[in-house]
Amino acid sequence: MMALGSREAEILRRDGKQEHKLLTPEQRLKLIDPYLPAPKAKIAQVEPRSRFGVRRLLRTGLHVLLYTIIHTIFSLYIKLRIAYHAVLDRIYSVVYYHHHTPELIERDVKGLSRLPKHLSVILSLEDNGRGGAELERLVSEAAEIAAWCASAGIPRLSIYEKTGILKGYHAETHRAVVRKLAAYFGPNYPALSVNAPHTPSIETPGGTLPLSRSSSSSSLSSSVETTQRHLSITLLAAEDGRDSIVDLTKTLAEMAQRGKISPSDISIDLVDAELNESVMSEPDLLILFSPSVELQGYPPWQIRLTEIFHVPDNQEVGYQVFYRALASFAKAQMRFGR
Amino acid sequence: MSDLYLSHLPQWLMRSPPAEWAIKQLRELVIGALSQGPVPQHIAFEMDGNRRYARSHKIETIEGHNLGFEALARVLEICYKCGVKVVTVYAFSIENYNRPKYEVDGLMQLAKVKLEQLMLHGEVLDRYGASVRVLGQRDLIRPDVLEVVDQIVDSTKHNTDCIFNICFPYTSREEITTAIRTTVEEYSTAAPPHSTPFSETRITKKLLSQRHERVEEPTDTRETSPCPSSPRSEDVEDSIASSTTLHPGAESPTTRAGSDMNRTVYKNAESITAETIDGNMYTAGCPPLDLFIRTSGVVRLSDFMLWQCHQDTSIVFLKCFWPEFDLWHFIPVLLEWQWQQKRKQRDEKPRRRMKQL
Repeated sequence: MMALGSREAEILRRDGKQEHKLLTPEQRLKLIDPYLPAPKAKIAQVEPRSRFGVRRLLRTGLHVLLYTIIHTIFSLYIKLRIAYHAVLDRIYSVVYYHHHTPELIERDVKGLSRLPKHLSVILSLEDNGRGGAELERLVSEAAEIAAWCASAGIPRLSIYEKTGILKGYHAETHRAVVRKLAAYFGPNYPALSVNAPHTPSIETPGGTLPLSRSSSSSSLSSSVETTQRHLSITLLAAEDGRDSIVDLTKTLAEMAQRGKISPSDISIDLVDAELNESVMSEPDLLILFSPSVELQGYPPWQIRLTEIFHVPDNQEVGYQVFYRALASFAKAQMRFGR
Repeated sequence: MSDLYLSHLPQWLMRSPPAEWAIKQLRELVIGALSQGPVPQHIAFEMDGNRRYARSHKIETIEGHNLGFEALARVLEICYKCGVKVVTVYAFSIENYNRPKYEVDGLMQLAKVKLEQLMLHGEVLDRYGASVRVLGQRDLIRPDVLEVVDQIVDSTKHNTDCIFNICFPYTSREEITTAIRTTVEEYSTAAPPHSTPFSETRITKKLLSQRHERVEEPTDTRETSPCPSSPRSEDVEDSIASSTTLHPGAESPTTRAGSDMNRTVYKNAESITAETIDGNMYTAGCPPLDLFIRTSGVVRLSDFMLWQCHQDTSIVFLKCFWPEFDLWHFIPVLLEWQWQQKRKQRDEKPRRRMKQL
């Protein structure tokens, strides 16, 4: 109970074990009374006395002083922690690097016991996206992550960006991803579809150029067909979060007004089916590249059981974050050196 | 033997009255100091790890829940003394009904006993000025527990300083669905008829007779549709069918009379906003969620406060089990939150200045 002394806690615990029949309510209250704030009536009574006022002033002064000291120490600690994490992340990114080679990424994830079927990431725009450089960075980050997913064999990727600028440059994003996939995989790049809620998806069939003509062509082409990877990307923005639920409510309200449904027909399953259909299904893993966990308006319905991964104090979109997220999803022990 | 005593010595020392007094003073001092900075107005706790704590300490599951309850009392004390206005805890998930029956019964019994206790000590809550609210699907609560729940909610209603939300049996998806359903109900029940000296039927009749006098001309009934900006064609058709009262001749007089009677004025569904739905959440009226804390190292939200925490809430996942949670775990979280808050303010200032220029 509360921050009681051990003796009081012991008595209360014993009392609790006997269904609170050991002590009377008065006895219990007496026991915890010193730990409670003073009753209001008492405060009002004591307030006018000047001695109390002075004492309170002193105490407030002490609190402010202590607050300043604590925060000074804490910001020092934070700086040290950021530096430590930066070094650690640097080591990770040296040990785990993809070298733009799908085979290396494949080898990295081979030891993991499970992979997410649907991966989601949150990317963010700095400075409200003024200047094209920010957009370019965002698109190239998206393409890079897409290539990692394709290499690791994750079939679904959703990319959330709050302002919707990525959604706005749907075709450009698609083109950048195709180019990146070609750079990673060469002529045998995976099929790709990029879509966003309420917009048609842009599809690209994968490149199926046989790598070598010397081996018997029929068996090779069939094996290429079967191992043909496919990556589908969904681009999301803040409007696919709360607003999609609001839109659904509007539609349901209109239907109810016309007597097409009754409010009691609205069930979790109905809402779930509609939101899955119009936005996306629940992702298995969400990777944040921000220093702390803040969802920035990410679709709320869909993150019910999603594992959320972030690297504390990390600022950048890096392969090491991606890999560490997959490893933590698979509950794998991270060790330096393979 | 001496070894045993030796290992108990620090514990014994810590439990000695002067040490306890000093620790109590220190706690008060630290809480007082922390409350000098910005303090989150609304904190949610997902109290995870009671069972695992029990297992790792080889005690009974229900005993783990008991210790978890003690931790809760501790945390509430800290929060309210710091100046937090609303504390929301996840006490029982609807999913928990799938657990073994003896555990569900045990949890229910625990909740009942503790709530009864809390009620006997109404004064304790009064001193904090805390009112208790129970959020969740009430019809799933056992009747005898529900009675206690209602009593305690009733007896603390008058307190306005802070709120203690107990989510019991709760899931966030159920909450969102209920909010949607309530909103739809609101918008699909007719607004009360105005009292007006003019009779709508008379006006309609008058209009119709005027129209009959004139040569029949095709009237565009779409203008009378209550939602002119309906994007889908099927919607437009539907709204004509249900909302028009001026069908010239097309309908038989009886149906026209019927639709006249049922002609109901609905609020425009297009006026539904996120705030409308927010107002129908269980947490309506609470300040926005500032901090979400989950213990025991699980990095999911697990159907808790999805609607409330997906915007700019700081979400913190802690490794410790809930029964271990104490001020010393809470301080770093609060400090970091305060630090983030200060940084956000600093970042916003120059931006605002830029805008002014």
